[in-house]
Amino acid sequence: MNIITRAAAAAAFLAAGADVRAETLRMWGPEQITEPLIAELWNGIKADFEVKNPGVTVEFIPPTGTISNGAVQAALQSDVGPDVVLTNSGIGRITVVKNAKQIIPLTAYYDERAWKDKIYPWLFEELKGQYAGEIYEVPDGLDALGIWYHKDMFAENGWTIPATWKDFVTLMKAIQEKSIQPLAVGPRTPGSAGHLFGNLLQSASGTINVGKALRGELAWDDPALVVGAVRLRELVDAGFIKKEMAGLDLDGASRLWFNKRAAMFVAGPWFTANARKAGYDLNNAGYLPMPSDMAGEAKPTGGVGWSWLIPSNSKQPELALKWIDFMLSDEVMKKRAQHAASTMIYPRELKDIQPSTRVLKEIFAVAANGVGYNPSVYLPADVTDTYFQVIQGLVSGQISGEDGMKQIQGKMVAVR
Amino acid sequence: MAGVQALDDTASGAAATAPPRKWELIPAGHGNTGTAFWLMAPAIAVYGIFTLFPIAVTFWLSFTDSAGFNTPASFVGVENYRKAVQDPIVWQALWQTIIWLIYHVVLAGGLGLGLALAIARLKRSQVFFRTAFFLPHLVSLAVVGVIWANIYDPFFGLLNTGLTEIGLGNWTQGWLSDPALVLFSVNVASSWQGFGLYMLLFIAGLQDIDPALYDAAEVDGANSWQKLIHVTLPGLREVMTFVMSLAMINGLKGFATVFVMTNGGPFYQSELITTYIYRLAFQAQDHGLAAVLCILLSLFAITITIVFNRWRARMAR
Repeated sequence: MNIITRAAAAAAFLAAGADVRAETLRMWGPEQITEPLIAELWNGIKADFEVKNPGVTVEFIPPTGTISNGAVQAALQSDVGPDVVLTNSGIGRITVVKNAKQIIPLTAYYDERAWKDKIYPWLFEELKGQYAGEIYEVPDGLDALGIWYHKDMFAENGWTIPATWKDFVTLMKAIQEKSIQPLAVGPRTPGSAGHLFGNLLQSASGTINVGKALRGELAWDDPALVVGAVRLRELVDAGFIKKEMAGLDLDGASRLWFNKRAAMFVAGPWFTANARKAGYDLNNAGYLPMPSDMAGEAKPTGGVGWSWLIPSNSKQPELALKWIDFMLSDEVMKKRAQHAASTMIYPRELKDIQPSTRVLKEIFAVAANGVGYNPSVYLPADVTDTYFQVIQGLVSGQISGEDGMKQIQGKMVAVR
Repeated sequence: MAGVQALDDTASGAAATAPPRKWELIPAGHGNTGTAFWLMAPAIAVYGIFTLFPIAVTFWLSFTDSAGFNTPASFVGVENYRKAVQDPIVWQALWQTIIWLIYHVVLAGGLGLGLALAIARLKRSQVFFRTAFFLPHLVSLAVVGVIWANIYDPFFGLLNTGLTEIGLGNWTQGWLSDPALVLFSVNVASSWQGFGLYMLLFIAGLQDIDPALYDAAEVDGANSWQKLIHVTLPGLREVMTFVMSLAMINGLKGFATVFVMTNGGPFYQSELITTYIYRLAFQAQDHGLAAVLCILLSLFAITITIVFNRWRARMAR
C-alpha cells in the first residue's frame, strides 16, 4: 500500500513537472523559413531563447500569407492559432486586425518593458499617432523601396545613374532600344504594385504631399498628386512598362529582372532573399532611389515593414512579451543584422554593424537620408484594395492617371 | 399461446387492411415515429449544424456590422443591402460570374462531350485515354492555378513561347492582363481541371445507347453526322442535363483559380462574386456586406436552378 501511495505521489509530481515544462510559444513566422540560411538564423534565435527560458519550446508556424490576403486573420480566428505573430504590417494592415479585436494593445509595455527606448524616437511617435495614442504593434523591421539595377549591364552599356526624372526617361529609352525591358513590375502581387507606384508618387509629389493625402488633408485627385499616376500611365504607353506585366506577380516580375530581361525593378532590402534564392550574384546588384525633379525628394519609400503582434486569444501572452523583449535585445538584433539572411532595416540604430551584402550597405546609406511613404501600408484598409486595383488598371492601360486617382479619392471619402 | 396467436393475427390483419400512409416512413406495425426520429437524428443534427445553422448565421450577419467572430456586432438594419446595391463592383462581379458560368458549361462540358465521343468507340486504348483525360480532375484547383499562371506568363510562359517558336509570334497575348481575355483564360484553366468528370459521365451515357439504333440508322443510310445528331445526342439527353446542372453548380463555385491566378484583377476584370466575398470577409473583415453577397449568390443559384429545371421539364415533354 505504501509503495502504491509513493508511486502515485511520484507520478503526480512528474505530471506536475511535465505541466510546467509543457510551455510552448507558437510563433506565426518567419517568412521563408524553408530557406536554409533563414532557417539557420531563426533556429539559432529559437535555441538561444529556449536556453534562457528552460522548459519553453518555440514552435514556428510557417506563414501561409499575410494580413493582406486574410491568412493571419483566418489563423487568429481559428482559436488554435499563434501566440505571437510576425507579419507584414503598417497601419493599413494593422487596422484590419485591430478593428476585429484580434490583437491586444501593447502601449503600456512600451514604458513598462522599455520598448520605447529600443526603437527610433520618430518611429515611436509615428506609432503613437496612429490610433489616438494606442499602439498595437512592435516594429521588427523597416522597408526602404527603391530601384534595383544590374551594375554590369549599366557599365557595359555606359548607362549612368539618372539625377532627374527627365534623365530617368532618357535612360529608359536607351534601355528599350537595346530590346531590354526598362522596368519590371508584378502588380498581381498587390505589394509589388504598390512598391513601384509609391516610388512614383514620392518622386512626383514629394513626402509632404503624399503624407497629407494619406492623412486625408489633400485629395488624391489633386493635381499635385495626380502627376505620379499620370507618369505611370505614360511609362506604360511608351512601352517602358509592358501592359502584359499586369498579369505578372512579384515572382514573375523578379524572374524578368534576375534573367536580365529587365534592367530595373522596384524592391526593398528583403529582395536580397529573393535574389539569393534565384542564384543571383548580389555583388552585381545596385540600388538607387527613384529620381525626382523636386529637391531632396529622391528618396526610397517605406515605413514599418514587419511587426510583432500579440493575438487576443494568445495562450501564452506573458511568454509572447518575453519573446518580444528578447527580439528587441541588442544580442538578437545585432546577430540578425550581421547574418547573411538579414533582409531589412532594423527599428533602431545599430552601431558598428556591417550589413552582410554590399547592396544592403547601399540601401542603408540611401535610407539614412530619409524615407518617404509607401501608401500601401499607410492607407486605410478599406482603401488599399481600390488602390491596388487602380494600379493594375494603369499598368494594363485600362484607365487614365486622373481617373485612377479619382477612384482612390472616392474610396477615401466613402471610408472617412 | 392461443391468446398470443390471436393477438398476432389481429395485428397482421390490421396491417393488411390499413396500408401505410404516404408520410409514414415506417409502415405501422414495423416501428414507430419515435424510432424513426432517433434513427434520423444524427443526420438531422449534422445537417442542422453544418447547413441550417450557417445559413441562419449568414442571414443574421447580413444585418450587422460584424468585423469578425471576436467582435461584438451591432444591428444595422438594411445598411449592408444598401451598400451592396450601390457598389458597382458587386454588379460587375455578378455579371462576370454569369459569363464565367457560361464559359465553364461550354468549355468543360463541351470538351467533356467531345472527348467522350472521340474515345468511346476505342477498344484497346480507351482505358488509357480515359485515365489520361481524367487525371487533371485529381489535381487541386489551387495547383492548377499555379500551373496555368506559369503557362500564361507573357515572357517565359509555355503558351507565348510556344507560339513564338512556331512562327506565330503575332498571336501572343497578355493572357492574364488583357481585360477582354482574362476571364476566358482563367476559365480555360478551371475547365481543364473539370472536364474529365463530365467526360466520364458522357462515356457512361454513350455506353447506354442501344447499338441497334446505330445499325438501324446505317441501314437507313445515315452518315456519321446524322447518326450523331439523330441517335447519339438524343440518347445523351438525360446525361446532358445532369452534366449541365453539375457544370452550373461548379461554375458558380468558381474561386480558387481566379484567386490564385489574378486575385480578381486586373482592375476587377476577373472578379467573381465568390472572390469578392472572400476579399470582403477575410481581407477587409466586413462580414456584414460579405454575408449580403452570400445571400445574393444563393438567390442567384436558386433562380438558375428553377429556370434550368423548368427548361428541362419542357424539353422532356
